[in-house]
Parts: sequence; C-alpha cells; structure tokens
Amino acid sequence: MALLEVKNLTVEFGSEDKPFRAVDSVSYSVDRGEVLGIVGESGSGKSVSSLAVMGLIDFPGRVSADALTFDGQDLITMPAKRRREITGKDIAMIFQDPMSALNPCFTVEAQIMEALKVHEGGNKKQRRERTLDLLNQVGIPDPKSRMTAYPHQLSGGMSQRIVIAMAIACNPRLLIADEPTTALDVTIQAQIIDLLLKLQEDSDMGLILITHDLALVSEAANRIQVMYAGQLFESGPADSIFAAPRHPYTQALLEALPERSEGHDRLRTIPGVVPGQYDRPQGCLLAPRCRYANEHCVKSRPEVTDFNGRDVRCFYPLNDQGQPTGLTADTTTGETV
Amino acid sequence: MSFLDTKPGVPLLESDDLVRHYEVNRGFGKPSAMVKALDGVSFTLESQKTLAVVGESGCGKSTLGRQLTLIEKPTSGALKLNGNAVGNLSDKEAKQFRRTVQMIFQNPYGSLNPRKKVGQILAEPVLLNMDNLGRKEREERVHATMAKVGLRPEFYQRYPHMFSGGQRQRIAIARALILEPKVIVADEPVSALDVSVQAQVLNLMMDLQEEMNVAYVFISHDLSVVRHIADDVMVMYLGRVAEKGPTDEIFAKPLHPYTRALLASAPKIDPTQRVKAEPLTGELPSPINPPSGCAFHKRCPFATEECAKVRPELRNFEGREVACHRVEEIA
Repeated sequence: MALLEVKNLTVEFGSEDKPFRAVDSVSYSVDRGEVLGIVGESGSGKSVSSLAVMGLIDFPGRVSADALTFDGQDLITMPAKRRREITGKDIAMIFQDPMSALNPCFTVEAQIMEALKVHEGGNKKQRRERTLDLLNQVGIPDPKSRMTAYPHQLSGGMSQRIVIAMAIACNPRLLIADEPTTALDVTIQAQIIDLLLKLQEDSDMGLILITHDLALVSEAANRIQVMYAGQLFESGPADSIFAAPRHPYTQALLEALPERSEGHDRLRTIPGVVPGQYDRPQGCLLAPRCRYANEHCVKSRPEVTDFNGRDVRCFYPLNDQGQPTGLTADTTTGETV
Repeated sequence: MSFLDTKPGVPLLESDDLVRHYEVNRGFGKPSAMVKALDGVSFTLESQKTLAVVGESGCGKSTLGRQLTLIEKPTSGALKLNGNAVGNLSDKEAKQFRRTVQMIFQNPYGSLNPRKKVGQILAEPVLLNMDNLGRKEREERVHATMAKVGLRPEFYQRYPHMFSGGQRQRIAIARALILEPKVIVADEPVSALDVSVQAQVLNLMMDLQEEMNVAYVFISHDLSVVRHIADDVMVMYLGRVAEKGPTDEIFAKPLHPYTRALLASAPKIDPTQRVKAEPLTGELPSPINPPSGCAFHKRCPFATEECAKVRPELRNFEGREVACHRVEEIA
C-alpha cells in the first residue's frame, strides 16, 4: 500500500455555481523511500494540491477527493483533532520562501522546539538536545550559537536549513517540499537538495518535490508528474519522461529550455500564456497553445489515459519520434488553431 | 564632438577598474563599515555583442548594472563610452549618455508605474529626451516600438496590471528600446518568468539585437540562459571578476574553481551531461568583511596558504582572464 494515495483531488475557489478549479481531479501516490517530482509553470496548481494534502486550504476554498489516504487512514473523514496529530508530525512541509516561513520574533531554538512540544512532548532539556541534534543533522556550522539566533541574522541558505530542521523534527514519513530552493543560489541549491535527498534516504521517507525547474526534478526525483492549469498532464518515471515525452506540453516545455538548443538559434516557444481564472478554454486546456491541436481538442477535454505505461492527458499522445499518434487524415484537416 | 560617435577600433563600452563602496551604519556608537559591493571590475563591450555577468546574489552584478547606467556614481574607476570617459559629464551630456545606455529591470511587476497606461509609460522617455518631436510623431514612435516587441496596438490604452509577466517584460523592453540605445543593461530580465515565456522573451531580445544593433550587458544567475544568449561571460565573486572569456570556451572548460563549482552545481536535464562533483561548502562571505587573500579560498578545494594571503589578480591564461594563483596546475 502506498504511503500517500490521492485520487481525483479537486480544489475549488469562488462561488458554488461558478467555481474556479485550481486543482482539477489530480491523482497520484507516493511510496516510502520514493521521490515524486511535481513540475509545472506558475498557476498550474502544484502548490495548491500539496496544501490540500496538508489540510491547509481554508474557507472559502473547497477540497474534495475520491480518496485521500495517508498510510491507509482517510484524511478527509477523520476528525480534525486526529488530522492535526498527523499534520506536522507524519506529514511535514517545507515552504518556498524560508525568509517568510520563519517567525521574525522568535529564536531558531524556540521555533523548532515548538513543533517538538506539540507532537513529541518531553521536557525542555530533551527538546533542547533534540534541537541541537537537528541543527547538526542539517549541517549548520556552530549549531550551539545559532540556537539563539533570530531569523534576520541568518542567510537564505541557513534559513532554509532551519526550516528543513523544523520539518524533520518529528521524523515525518512524508515530506512535502514546495519549491525549497527557488529563493536560493545554485551552489546553495545543490547543498540543500543533497541534504534533502540524504535525509530522505536515511529515514526511508517519501518526498514530494514541487518545483518549476525541470532539470532539478530530473536529477532528484524517481517519478515525475507534469501539471498544467490545475490538471495532471503526464506522469512517469524520471529517466524516461524527459527522454521521450508523451504529452505535447512536456515536449514543448523541454524545447523551450535554452540548454536544449544549439548555439544562437532561436528557442522554440509555446505561444500565449497559461490560462487564468477567466480564460480557460472549453476543450483541452492546452489547445490554444498546442502545435498539434485540432477541432476535436478545442471542443472536448481529454481524460488521463494509459499510453505505453505512462499516464497522459492527450487525445494524440506522442510516439518515440515525438510525433502525435492517432491523428487520422480527416481529423488533421482542422489543424493549427 | 560627441562621445556618442562611434570610432573604429574603440570598444563601445569600457569599464576600467570600477569600484563602488557603500558605507553602512552598524548601530549607535559603532564605527560605520564599508561594503565593497564592487571592487575593481574591468571589461570591454563591443557593439552588437552580448556580455553576460554571472554570479550568486551578493556578488555585485546588480551594483555593476547601476554604475553602467549612471544610476549611481562609482566610487572610483572610469567608465568609457566610445573611448570617452563619462566620469565628469555635464547634466546635458549625462542625459545624452543615458539615452545611449538603457536598462531593463529584473521584476516587471515592480518596474512599471501602475497608474500609467502603456502608452504613457512608453512615451515618457521620448517626451524627456526628444523634445523636438510633436505629439503625433511621439505616438507614432510608441506604436512602432510596440509593434517591434510584439505588443498589439490596442494595448496602448491599458494599464500594467492587465498584463501577464511576459507581456510586462515586453513593455519594459520597449521602454528601453524606444530611444534606440546602443547598449542595454538587462538585470535578470527573465528570472521572474516561466520557462515557456522566458523563451519568448529571450528570442525577442536576440531578434531585437540583430534588428537594432544593440549590445547587451546581460546580468543573470541562470547559466543555461547565459550560455544561449551571450558572446562573452564574466563570472563575478564578491565584487571581483573571477573569470572572463568567450562563452563557448568557459562552458567547455571552466578554469577558475568557482566557475567550475557553479557549472557543476547547476542541475542538468540530460543525464549524460551531469557531472558528479562535491557541492561547494559554505556560503558567500560578507562583503563587509571579506576573507583575506583570494575571496574564494575558504570554499575552494584547491586553496593553499598562498591563496589565504595574497589576492590573485586577473591574468591571461589560454586566451582567457582568470584570477587564480593555481590555474596552471588546476587546468
């Protein structure tokens, strides 16, 4: 049984009769010791879906799912009190911006000890020792003197280490890292990702790594899922998904990367922008930007289907040569929208 | 005479040992300290070329951008346009200089006035710098520039909040281009944008370079973007240049240990390109109290005693400029 099982998770905002679906029937699962990477551009719903798993979507947001189970326990129907015991202990989260994730009014020590006090109990001395351990574990130099430091006295990389220490304080079984390195420089990013992967391996945690950086997930994750405008577009193993993308969006994203182009050639772009709240197309959400889209794509929305062992939400998934399959002569007549 | 006239054989923009120090207050009763944000940077930029400035945050790359556009005056050192020093320009000349060197800012959400329409934002530089133009000619110019950067004519009457990040960056690019500058200093122009939109903006910048013959000083921390767009790369560390040379050579064979670490730290999509290197330990030291000798020695795997004592100067090595004592052995 998977550690976290999410089936058709939907998050809606706005009025009942005209809701805006920030996350639209997304399904995935994470196992122990597995790293799942979620990639997507801004507005693709990757953060909102993980906040929903953490139970951090407040009114007026509405979360619904066919199943949302952690270790066999249903997170949706369980009493709020029980869920609070799980959140922060068994499922922990690292937030995007370490500078704003820490409370500026309290010392590092006080903030880490707070999580320990709520979930682990024990006396102050034990908690302090554990905090010192944690700071050592996340590689903070001179942890003793850093215990009494305030967040403003720490650099971005240090703050992120503190946030990680806080998240792993109660030995979580699932860790959700939401853009953990976006605010950091590349050399620091490499340190933090190495640290996360080491912690994940040592304790056989499940790790969900949310990012917009395709190269980063391709290095760190076992499985990757690509999201677009709240929907899951493609998911599959990390080593094959970028080598042979099945969804036109994944293909287009890769082609837009500067490192995939030769010399000073122009990059292949995806025209237009990610649809927002008011301009979502009626058919496939990518249809206005997709180079293979035809009338069928504009009119109706594709479902997620299995294609060569990969989950793909497209009527015409791509083959190994990067060409759409299943396009017949009469469907191509209405091409290029 | 004008320093705007290009001369054959003279680089378009030249910076000679540019220094910018800031004084910071450290609290009551304590002596103030100096932040050496920029500590002797020299480079030349040929017309129609792109020079990329890369480095981590705090290395002084944005400070350099501010000196180049005369937003601030450098503490010492000389900046030359077409061979003429621009240190002591009269107000009138400074205005001419700014017409020639324009800037694109990092965050398109902060750099456009929310109370002005696109038409007004773009007309303002023309209004201030080309007072011989009438209202009608000005509007024509705005429309022509909008067309060039791919903004539709109906956007003229819209406010910045009605646009996405990519469109806003186009507006910012149009604003920098409208005076037909020779040099554009672009400070992280695509770092706030998504991959698909980033590609659009990069293509636009490259198209415009060919069309309007501008040179770019492209400030960025994203190495793959730099590799794609730049002719030359200058790697900075703590206010000084670590390595400088042609893009292809630097990416093919980085010489300075810092450049190597930077390249190795960047994640790669292609598994065959991945280099498993030990990540750098430690963080960028404070520019208030930089380490003695080579600023990088505390994080450098090759550091010796000499590195801790003597500051390495930039010197020629294999057609490149590198500031490292041990470059011969490392290479």
